[in-house]
Amino acid sequence: MSYAYLFKYIIIGDTGVGKSCLLLQFTDKRFQPVHDLTIGVEFGARMITIDSKPIKLQIWDTAGQESFRSITRSYYRGAAGALLVYDITRRETFNHLASWLEDARQHANANMTVMLIGNKCDLSHRRAVSYEEGEQFAKEHGLVFMEASAKTAQNVEEAFIKTAGTIYKKIQDGIFDVSNESNGIKVGYAVPNSSGGGAGSSSQAGGCCS
Amino acid sequence: MRGGDAAAAAEEGSPRSPDLHDLSDDSDYAAAAAATASDHTAMRTDSADTGSDETTRIDVVYEKERVTIHPTQYGSGRISGKLRLFLQQGSLFLSWEPNEGDGSLSTSSVAVEIDKYRNLYTIKALPLSDVRFIRRHTPTFGLDYIIIVLSSGLAFPPFYFYNGGIRELFATLKQHVFIIRSDDDPNVFLVNDFQDPLQKSLSSLELPGVASVANAMSRQNSLSFTGSVDETRHADDGRHGAASSMSQYSSKQKPKSNDPGRDLSIQVLEKFSLVTKFARDTTSSLFRDNIGAHAYGRQQHGYALDNQASDKQKNQYVTPEKDYVPSAPVESDPIPLVWGKQRDRPLSVEEWTAFLDPEGRVMDSKALRKKVFYGGIDHVLRKEVWKFLLGYHEYDSTYAEREYLTAMKRAEYEAIKSQWKSISATQAKRFTKFRERKGLIDKDVVRTDRSVPYYEGDENRNVVVLRDILLTYSFYNFDLGYCQGMSDFLAPILYIMEDESESFWCFASLMERLGANFNRDQNGMHAQLLALSKLVELLDPPLHNYFRQNDCLNYFFCFRWVLIQFKREFSFEQIMLLWEVLWTHYLSEHFHLYLCVAILKRYRQRIIGEQMDFDTLLKFINELSGQINLDRAIQDAEALCTIAGENGASCIPPGTPPSMPIETDGGLYVQQDEVL
Repeated sequence: MSYAYLFKYIIIGDTGVGKSCLLLQFTDKRFQPVHDLTIGVEFGARMITIDSKPIKLQIWDTAGQESFRSITRSYYRGAAGALLVYDITRRETFNHLASWLEDARQHANANMTVMLIGNKCDLSHRRAVSYEEGEQFAKEHGLVFMEASAKTAQNVEEAFIKTAGTIYKKIQDGIFDVSNESNGIKVGYAVPNSSGGGAGSSSQAGGCCS
Repeated sequence: MRGGDAAAAAEEGSPRSPDLHDLSDDSDYAAAAAATASDHTAMRTDSADTGSDETTRIDVVYEKERVTIHPTQYGSGRISGKLRLFLQQGSLFLSWEPNEGDGSLSTSSVAVEIDKYRNLYTIKALPLSDVRFIRRHTPTFGLDYIIIVLSSGLAFPPFYFYNGGIRELFATLKQHVFIIRSDDDPNVFLVNDFQDPLQKSLSSLELPGVASVANAMSRQNSLSFTGSVDETRHADDGRHGAASSMSQYSSKQKPKSNDPGRDLSIQVLEKFSLVTKFARDTTSSLFRDNIGAHAYGRQQHGYALDNQASDKQKNQYVTPEKDYVPSAPVESDPIPLVWGKQRDRPLSVEEWTAFLDPEGRVMDSKALRKKVFYGGIDHVLRKEVWKFLLGYHEYDSTYAEREYLTAMKRAEYEAIKSQWKSISATQAKRFTKFRERKGLIDKDVVRTDRSVPYYEGDENRNVVVLRDILLTYSFYNFDLGYCQGMSDFLAPILYIMEDESESFWCFASLMERLGANFNRDQNGMHAQLLALSKLVELLDPPLHNYFRQNDCLNYFFCFRWVLIQFKREFSFEQIMLLWEVLWTHYLSEHFHLYLCVAILKRYRQRIIGEQMDFDTLLKFINELSGQINLDRAIQDAEALCTIAGENGASCIPPGTPPSMPIETDGGLYVQQDEVL
């Protein structure tokens, strides 16, 4: 299927916070509590529409365990957006956010849009991190923030699409040079001659992803 | 070594050649030794034996003890010796003499085999003028070693320097002979070679001794050759659209390079495992002449030889290295299709019984491992046989001994388990590491193989057993602890053993070899991925070049394959078969790495043709899950392993998992404190 742009997303955060479930809810609109733990990285993709342009999101869902960080870091390269996820019922997953963010800042594109997500908000009776704390952290670090639930699908769609909207705006504002694929953006076939220069890469981006 | 011994060894080697795995090593080294011995060595040795006048006076200029060869993959099969450089009549010679065996193993078959190697690899006096180059390896993990390659293209096995001394060796060499570093590989030192390497290789084509060796090789394998060439041509004709744009580009750049014969000759050459990068040119050119195949392009230097052209065009320079475009039309390899042995039927109950003596000892463990390697194990036998393959039971143990061990180990398991079982809630509150570990394991066991009936459903008892074993293991090996991926290994083991203690000990045995995969610093993984990169460089230089040009040499796209040995790439049923094949360590302890190479080679056309970058490649490899033909992959890997021979083994530093780790003072699993 043709698209105007392809954005590379990466989902990061501690193990067990629900990264894979968020992805599955977004791509397949279902919640699967029983699935295999992620080793290395898994992929998902979905088309969305922004400003009546088809945009393909290619999403990298990474393994969360600390030991794999040295490998996971190589996946940051060329991501346009990141979902940084914690579990509102487990305080330690919130405490580790700073170190995840540092990793992202160090290994990803400086213009990468980071969305902070407090997942499992359906379990608010077991809440260990308040909404305000999440909001405060996001504000301090210049992130977009949302609480979401992969189980009920609350805010999942919004989280991915809002991130895409931010990236799209950065393109419109000329912050991204879309001809440079290291920004995590590929220009597709359907590009209506927007902010320049990227058409040369279209043939490569077109066919390779399902 | 005396010429006679070498010839005898060569004769002894050749009749066994029909067996696939024997094609590569012994007989070839014997041939190498014989070729050398026939001219210089024998004469020198004789004169040294008889002469006492000053013409035979020897000045030793370098001497190093504990320079060791590893003719087998097992620690007991290492042969330590003394490497010397000495001057005689103004010429520099190299010798390597193994230490005498200590006699303790003199009756065992291992000792006999080692003695054979001891004779085979002895170098009495090798004139440095016969040496083409010396390749120096100073791996980050493991011992330094060198590979000596002769002008004829033949090579000695790697010499590992247990006491160091490589720098001094090269310093001494520099004083006495002309050596230069290769422009292409800073670890390659050309000896007496101040011409263009290409010129040298062409001139060495004229050496009659080399030609005869190569002829012998091609005769031996003419059948395989013919089939391969045909398949390659066929594949070439049938290439699809994705590749054709590549080939047009490539033909513009270097019209002579897109010939399948080139890749073929590399393949065939490496089957003999006698050559490394440089020497390839020489011998493969010979092959080309012998078999009438096509051109041979040398990637490292970016030129191609075209056999259809006349001699004067032979060394036509085509394109500099950085512009090298791998030749597109090379279909995924024909060679493995020709060579991979048909998969056998699984080990049956009758066959298993026949392996056992009346008291239950496995009489011929090598034959058993061979059988399992080629066919796997009947499902009903897995419970019994896996315990041997995993190293929990000794092959030469009796029924009674195993029964006793099982009882002892059961008690030991319970004792370790009670260590965490007895931690009270209050105690746990003040034991963060325990809580975190337990929390992580609790989260992971419910995400492990839940689609397998044995583990499916809520409140599944087997999931609890998985949890208990992993938590107990994290106390048994507290330094290593728990890491994601372990549950992937344990689940099939528990499924087969259906017993908590037995599963634990089998898993613990497996972790003896694979624990380093889960080290916090990932050193075991990095070592394997590095070895994989070296193997691809050896077995598929164009693909290696492609990965290099596209910044993919970290091989992180194979991370999951290696970490959990293909667990996620095959079905539960298939993975049990694959693992028992790997656990035999029959052709190599690192067969899984050859499997990686085999699969990559299968898809090389697509990878290169579609110009995949790192991201695309990672996604592509991930999505191969469930698509790989297991039997074919094993067959391909088997052929590659045989092709690579000793050169393949030398790509893999000692101690690389799943080899048993080299112990250090700091313990096996040195970790920083904040680890779970």
